[in-house]
Amino acid sequence: MIALILYLGVGVGLFVLMYVLARRSHAPVEGSAHQFVEARSSLQTLQQGLLPRDLINRIFDRQDLQYVTKKMPAEIRRLFLAERKRISLSWVRRVRLEVLNLMHFHRAHSRFYVRLSLPTEIRLALDFAGLLLACRLLEAIFYFRGPYAAPGMVNLTASAAIRLCMTSEKSLAFLNATNIDQFRNKTTPGSAVV
Amino acid sequence: MDSLPNRNDVLAVADDVRRRTLAHLPMALERMIYLASTRDYNNGLYYHQGLASRYSEAAACEALADCHRESFRELLGASLEDLVQQLQTYAESSGAITVDFVAAWKELAPYRVAVPVGTDPLAADFVFSNLKVALAIFETRLNPRWPASSPE
Repeated sequence: MIALILYLGVGVGLFVLMYVLARRSHAPVEGSAHQFVEARSSLQTLQQGLLPRDLINRIFDRQDLQYVTKKMPAEIRRLFLAERKRISLSWVRRVRLEVLNLMHFHRAHSRFYVRLSLPTEIRLALDFAGLLLACRLLEAIFYFRGPYAAPGMVNLTASAAIRLCMTSEKSLAFLNATNIDQFRNKTTPGSAVV
Repeated sequence: MDSLPNRNDVLAVADDVRRRTLAHLPMALERMIYLASTRDYNNGLYYHQGLASRYSEAAACEALADCHRESFRELLGASLEDLVQQLQTYAESSGAITVDFVAAWKELAPYRVAVPVGTDPLAADFVFSNLKVALAIFETRLNPRWPASSPE
């Protein structure tokens, strides 16, 4: 009798597990086009929206701080610092999120890459981990000490993110519209024409 | 509207807009607000009757969008001090009573609908944030006690 209950329990457990796995509607399909498009979108957001030097220099520019500190009353200084803190936190959180997207793409994509180089993959993994850690640290610094507390670290983080973007760009280069031209009017073995 | 205008036509229209119209608007803030006002909020397309009749509607639309993005980038790069100056000049040139102008801008934040389509949310948020602070500084300056109440 005890054995029967045990087997029934295991059976129900397996059924529940299969049901839960089958209902995972958001589970990504590894190597799907959706992942490539999402990674491409993250890359564009980083390169064009979050990492342009002009924007970073403006957000963390001390000239505005000096202007407000020297010439403005306390309530304006408080408002300015609160606004810059909000913007700098928003910047670092979005950088982290987009880097995380790129990392997920690389992790999934590398499984399909035949000529995988172990040292390159390890270096890339360390770069991603370092960058994500730096983003978390910056977030904490901005939160507790304000947006002007770590200018050197902001530059280092931005430079590291730009380097990772360049690496990712190579992986996603085939999604550029200009690269499609080289396939135009060529046929595949199944006679499909681009 | 006819589709896909020739790039050279767009550049010619943009040059025309810069020489004839934008040259009279020296500040990025007023250029951005003027160019946003040529956009139809129902479809996001820019329209300028004079330009459309001289060139084509599509070329005029693209050129106005280019100039709008350009003025936004300039505003994004402006320092806070410069932005306060721009805001003050714009308020004075608008013809509105300054106190009413400040109240309306604080309440309605009209600049929020004046950014070009496709602007990164962070860049837009940064400009809004700077304009909010600039407006607060401008309001402080209207205080008769200014600058006596300034730096502690």
